[in-house]
Amino acid sequence: MPSAREITISKSKTPILAIAILAVIFGFGLFTVGYDQGHLFSIVLGQEAFDELWIHELTHDMRHAAGFPCH
Amino acid sequence: MKTVLFLILVLVSGCFAGMIHGLANLAIVEPYLDEAIGIENQNLFASGEEVDSPQFWVEYNNYRYWQKGGQILAGAILGTSFGALFGIVFVFSKNVLPGSSNARKAIFLSGIMWFTIYFIPFLKYPANPPTVGDPETVVLRGILYLAFIAISGFGVVGFYQLYKRLQKNKKFVAYLGYAVFMSTVFIIMPQNPDEITAPMDLVNGFRIMSVFAVSIFWIALGIIFGAFWQKFQPDKPVKAEIH
Repeated sequence: MPSAREITISKSKTPILAIAILAVIFGFGLFTVGYDQGHLFSIVLGQEAFDELWIHELTHDMRHAAGFPCH
Repeated sequence: MKTVLFLILVLVSGCFAGMIHGLANLAIVEPYLDEAIGIENQNLFASGEEVDSPQFWVEYNNYRYWQKGGQILAGAILGTSFGALFGIVFVFSKNVLPGSSNARKAIFLSGIMWFTIYFIPFLKYPANPPTVGDPETVVLRGILYLAFIAISGFGVVGFYQLYKRLQKNKKFVAYLGYAVFMSTVFIIMPQNPDEITAPMDLVNGFRIMSVFAVSIFWIALGIIFGAFWQKFQPDKPVKAEIH
């Protein structure tokens, strides 16, 4: 009769890909809320994004409240 | 390490904590923002840049609705962002953080990060409400603030490396070194170039509530992240049966 044996495989290695993804998310989120003055939407909308400042206005109150310079 | 579980746990924790931050802002910071923007409006009327008309107030109410509504979404984005940074730091430091459980370690780390990358930079470059700040200097102020956060954050990492190499009875040198380093940076870095013309009662009230709300974020992040890590244990060794 075959016997089953349980083994423990320890994989404590730091997931480098996950760290890289998190670093990108950190940078993108920080820029979006703390620093965007139309830059992100300008990739698609051009100059109009700098005039309308949708993301700036959307994040305006959080930007002030979280301590980032706003305008 | 279960990579996908780790990523989800980190991002969801940050997102939840960020939404709590947004709600806290709506409750305690928003009245100061309204008051400051009211002063801005009066200045616009006085200078003739805008006319106190029904049309102005319709447009004003529309964009204020957009700005206030954005608190929760912006909180979720910023919270996810800082949650990501928190996850990176936690995964590299959890084995050396004090605490008998990962939940306690996460709360301890959130305290360290609150102090080093939020509170110390806040002391140098405190938050300001609308009406304070010259648009011409916003890029400079943004760079100074981010640079101060980065210097403080990397300073902690650097002095931690020193801490590890010191004998037990000399470890205080690392704390002292960080304090001296940051004090020097504090003195050397330029001041915020803008003059404050708004009433100081308003500015100080805003700053106090801003600190409360950001502190709520870091507490929430530590608690939520720690609870999730404790429950799901993404670093738990994998068990397998062999026949």
